[in-house]
Amino acid sequence: MPQVRIIAKNFMDMVASLPAIKLDKLYNNVFICEAILRSLPPLAKKYVLQMLYITDPVPATMMEEWVLADGASKHRVAIDRLIQLRIFSEISDRKKGTSYNLNPTFQNNLQKHIISGGVLPREPMNSDNAIKLPSLQELETYALKQWECFLLQLINSGHGEKLTGISSSMMKIFQRGLMSQRDRDGPRLTESGFQFLLMDTNSQLWYIIREYISNAEERDVDPADLISFLLELSFHVTGEAYNLNTLTDVQRNTLKDLADLGLVKLQQGRKDSWFIPTKLATNLSVSLADSSVRKEGFVVMETNFRMYAYSTSKLQCEILRLFARIEYQLPNLIACAITKESLYNAFDNGITSDQIITFLQQNSHPRCADRVPSIPENVTDQIRLWEADLKRIEMTQAHFYDEFPSKDVFEAACDFAREWGGLLWEDSKRMRLVVKSEIHNQMREFLHTQSK
Amino acid sequence: MASVASKLYSDDVSLLVLLLDTNPFFWSTTSITFSQFLSHVLAFLNAVMGLNQLNQVVVIATGYSSCDYIYDSSSTSSNHGTGNGMPALFSSLLEKLEDFVTKDEELSKEKNVSKDRVASSLLSGSLSMALCYIQRVFRSGHLHPQPRILCLQGSQDGPEQYVAVMNSIFSAQRLMVPIDSCYIGTQNSAFLQQASYITGGVHHKPQQLDGLFQYLTTIFATDLHSRGFVQLPKPVGVDFRASCFCHKKTIDMGYICSVCLSIFCEHHKKCTTCGSVFGQSKLDDVSSVSDKKRKSPDT
Repeated sequence: MPQVRIIAKNFMDMVASLPAIKLDKLYNNVFICEAILRSLPPLAKKYVLQMLYITDPVPATMMEEWVLADGASKHRVAIDRLIQLRIFSEISDRKKGTSYNLNPTFQNNLQKHIISGGVLPREPMNSDNAIKLPSLQELETYALKQWECFLLQLINSGHGEKLTGISSSMMKIFQRGLMSQRDRDGPRLTESGFQFLLMDTNSQLWYIIREYISNAEERDVDPADLISFLLELSFHVTGEAYNLNTLTDVQRNTLKDLADLGLVKLQQGRKDSWFIPTKLATNLSVSLADSSVRKEGFVVMETNFRMYAYSTSKLQCEILRLFARIEYQLPNLIACAITKESLYNAFDNGITSDQIITFLQQNSHPRCADRVPSIPENVTDQIRLWEADLKRIEMTQAHFYDEFPSKDVFEAACDFAREWGGLLWEDSKRMRLVVKSEIHNQMREFLHTQSK
Repeated sequence: MASVASKLYSDDVSLLVLLLDTNPFFWSTTSITFSQFLSHVLAFLNAVMGLNQLNQVVVIATGYSSCDYIYDSSSTSSNHGTGNGMPALFSSLLEKLEDFVTKDEELSKEKNVSKDRVASSLLSGSLSMALCYIQRVFRSGHLHPQPRILCLQGSQDGPEQYVAVMNSIFSAQRLMVPIDSCYIGTQNSAFLQQASYITGGVHHKPQQLDGLFQYLTTIFATDLHSRGFVQLPKPVGVDFRASCFCHKKTIDMGYICSVCLSIFCEHHKKCTTCGSVFGQSKLDDVSSVSDKKRKSPDT
């Protein structure tokens, strides 16, 4: 089964991989400390909180006593994470053993945050100002529309009018990994590209943001600055306007890109420009761990394999086209059918049946979503069956052995392979056997000792 | 395969309903002032909300004769009243708390009928309010944070609230909402011990109130998910004493109606709760154990 490699599941892995000096610099920002605290595993959060006002190093043996026996593995994960993020520093003493200390900058900032609450570096615009702010509803529609535009451009780059202000070089970067450039038939979605389209908005957003950050150095932007700005942005209040002149040039440029992605809405006032964070932006620090945006579904799947999608979106149509045959389109309805051919096409492109089924389940129309199962069972079964049809043969890397000197050696080799769980086939009459290539090395060693 | 359906709520998202004891009769006798106490609590609330963006905190003030919601993190408006260096979030809390305390004082002056009443807080009222709030959260949909109640109580138990408090405790048990309790008074609270014992919460009595914040974060900030693998204080002994229904006295031994399990401190001819007529006790004056039953601890 193909692995989904492209989900940036944990943004903090990226933060952790930053060099030490940059990481220490990041902790100067209160909001980053806060965001990082939120991203930690529950147990690690507890340790940080517990040690917030302890200045002396805490012995590791003492910390082990804080958890029950069942929690030992979780304890180790938590400690490793804290050390990796340089929140804990390890002090080894020959007499007293290991002990841990909280990063002083981090500790200080969190103490400040807990006592006085966070104060953003910029104040939201006063409500008595002349500019009319969009309502939360409008803002959300705007954000989703902008995001859809971006995705459409992403998949249609070859033949599409320019919808967003994202430069084509930037677009190329985002497409890297999702599209393959071929000379003859233009750019084509790759396997991971298809999988990307079927992910929920937050995971997609994270993938794009991750690419954006990892590419920062090519644009002469410090990734650490970018990360800190993005995290800070997630603490702004959705729907409030903030003045652009509180930002640095780099941040302003970044903001333009983010506006194209729908993370912020830029608004021009009489003298000043403002930016209004949308839900996509304020959810950034949430989606580090989990996503909470839920869209209303639109797909009705019938038992006769016909599918009705109540959507006006061009993007949704494109996504459905990935695995279904579009039959006709009405202003607010896309009628399509799932056929063997359309599914084979999808499987060819590396989409798995599970992905299609979860996509259908997640996007099923509210009226269908109440039913159990939301997708008719015969359809899900058939999708799986058609996929299984293509996988009649399973490939396993293997090694073939023959010409054994004696029956005993052959038998011993067979037993050995069986013990390691790598025996695939044996033919005792002609003394031949096939083993998985994972245990080839062990096998060879074993046969060496046997021949001596 | 990493599934497309990511989990919508991580395990440690919690809803903390904090019951704050504002009883003036108690706070006039303590070693730390109410404002010192409050600064510990506010820092604790900030810490709880800092742990997860989806964490929610509700504060209910428990007064002498009334109780009220004074803070709900899910409904705070975005207009920041940042003044005199206070955290923006809590300026509204303090304002409401002040209103509440004055109103509570007026109320208790009005009904100065029961002079002999113990200076207890209205724990039963605030517990019920907390449970109502949690019930509403449960009904709001299948996606909700994991609720728990934390009682920060200092004043002694009011035996006249016995039935109401026990009923709240049992409904909390039914809802599987743990009631944590942190008793900061000098005596011990049988109510809180029982509440935590029955609902599977944690009961603790801090030794030093100066370090209240450390106690709060170490013990009571632990989310329900982590409780499965963290050492928490275990109950040393739970005071299971009940109050009688007739005089609201805390008793060790008493009479129990065999029909409705009402508790009385003296023998009655008829149960005042359910009306069953009791037979004449044969051993009326003999101090035998057989007719004086202890209330069983786990009703």
